[in-house]
Amino acid sequence: MFLTKLALKNLIRHRNRTLITACIIAAAVFLYLIFDSLIAGMTDMSYDTLIDYETGHLQIVHRDYWAEEEKLPLEDLLSLEELATLSQVDGEVARSPELAFPARLSNGMNELPVVGKGIIPDEFLRIFPLEDKFVAGSMFALGEYKAVMGKRLADLLDLQVGDFITLLVRDKNETFNTIEAEIGGLIHTINANVNQNVVYVPLDIAGHALAVPEKVSKVIIKLEDKNGAPRIAREIEARLPAKIGAYPWNELEAITFAGAKNAGIMVMTTILLVIAAIAIVNTVILAALERMGEIGMMKAMGLQEKELIYLFVTESVGIGILGGLAGVLLGLIGVALLVRIGIDWSAQTGVDMSSFGIPVLGTMYGSWNPLAFLRIFCFSLIVSFFASIPPAYWAAAKDPIEAIEYR
Amino acid sequence: MALLELKGVTKVYQQGKIEVPALRGIDLTVEAGEFTTLFGPSGSGKTTLLNLVGCLDKPTGGTILFDGQDLAALSKKELAMIRREHIGFIFQSYNLIPVLTAYENVEFAIRLVNKHSDREIKDKVMGILAAVGLEGLENRRPNELSGGQKQRVAIARALVKEPKLVLADEPSANLDSKTSEEVLAVMAKMNRELGTTFIFSTHDPLVMDYARRLLEIRDGVITLDRRRDEAIVSH
Repeated sequence: MFLTKLALKNLIRHRNRTLITACIIAAAVFLYLIFDSLIAGMTDMSYDTLIDYETGHLQIVHRDYWAEEEKLPLEDLLSLEELATLSQVDGEVARSPELAFPARLSNGMNELPVVGKGIIPDEFLRIFPLEDKFVAGSMFALGEYKAVMGKRLADLLDLQVGDFITLLVRDKNETFNTIEAEIGGLIHTINANVNQNVVYVPLDIAGHALAVPEKVSKVIIKLEDKNGAPRIAREIEARLPAKIGAYPWNELEAITFAGAKNAGIMVMTTILLVIAAIAIVNTVILAALERMGEIGMMKAMGLQEKELIYLFVTESVGIGILGGLAGVLLGLIGVALLVRIGIDWSAQTGVDMSSFGIPVLGTMYGSWNPLAFLRIFCFSLIVSFFASIPPAYWAAAKDPIEAIEYR
Repeated sequence: MALLELKGVTKVYQQGKIEVPALRGIDLTVEAGEFTTLFGPSGSGKTTLLNLVGCLDKPTGGTILFDGQDLAALSKKELAMIRREHIGFIFQSYNLIPVLTAYENVEFAIRLVNKHSDREIKDKVMGILAAVGLEGLENRRPNELSGGQKQRVAIARALVKEPKLVLADEPSANLDSKTSEEVLAVMAKMNRELGTTFIFSTHDPLVMDYARRLLEIRDGVITLDRRRDEAIVSH
């Protein structure tokens, strides 16, 4: 108890050093919390972006197609006639069939690999809010030899509304075929995949060119509440043949920031570890050098090494608590601002973040993660504790005579 | 009964490849309750001898018995426990803990012994501070005390646990003669009243005047061992 009291008094005695070290830890904790909040916010936005522009809340797909979906096969497709018998389910807002296929987009000079999507425009627009994303032209109608694509993709091939394109495809029989179409509209969304990889064409034109008329890869469904998707998926499956599955959005294989989040958090954790550890080691060594005479005297009085180590470690943990609490408080303020006000990266930097695949157009908002606050606070204490042990041991192991005579 | 028995004690320091003998076969017996002064020129081995009997260092050869216990047979932890319970140190540079008050500096020493209740600790600390003339200054930090007052705190710290042995290395080196006399009088009083054994290392004639036994050491050998019935300065 007396040693604990002495340790606390030492923290006040060297208040400048204590405050500087605590500030370093606080800064590391604060940065971690801001980073975690932004990443969590981006993860939420990336899910919404995928739902709003690519996946919808629910997809009805042939189970064999689902297993091979990445290859966009023209096998195991769904029949429109068969699907017409599936009545609307509770909570359903809209549904839209889609025929996805691999293609090469050509402007006559150059070509790029793209994903072609045959859609029924009216039904498609009831699910995906693209009307206000047109930067030029408009959506086509069924039966029109027109296409809609991202402005970024069009720019890559120097295309504009009214230009003609060729989509080189292989039909169901592996025969090469083409879809010749006029560009009817260009869009720009916060979804990088839609902006630079997808070309939309009328479903009937695509079905004909691919030799799969009246067939679709999937039916995309929009619900009133995305959280109801798993339950509704089970209800739909009960009404469909066993070979057809209904997959809610959270089971869809899509690019999310989950991986980036984990990697980012690991990087931040490592940075925090290094910063805090260096600060603590430095502080303990300075304190020990400055108090070498005291250390010698205490050893002469009979203080054991473990008690001296306890003294220094307690001081370090005290600094860790101080820095951790300050960092958490700053983090609370910072994250609250991020959640309420957010950051407009485009305005700050003049760079469109969606061009890097980050699903942000306009303001990026943070997200609350109470566990992160608890985790980083505990982590700052653990780092303070362990980082102080080696220098504390070094100080405590000093020969008492040398320590007393140290100048 | 002998508190300390040194038989053929040697201490050799290694400076690079050169061996520097600091003590060359010391034979010495110190009885409990003695008030002894160790004097001699700088480098003669005074401090080395104090460090050895204070369990801060181990001899190169020979044996040291402290209260009948052979120090060479004890572990670092056991030596620390002997220092904690039975030996008090007074250093020329005081070595007080700056963040603690005079009271807390003294309290620290008795808390380490861990044998007393809070009430007993308070009584003992206040009593020893009064005995060394620091009544009313208990709450001052070292930087608020004069050199003499700091040395009194160091003396109180060494004595509060009522050790068997107090080792004082040049205790008057930083003090003026009046203050030196005051702190020596305090220690002489403690020796008389509590029977505490004192060994001083000093160059100061005044300290020698207080001693009842004088030991002169030169080149690591005791060259004079003189006892007197009464000190020149009466306790």
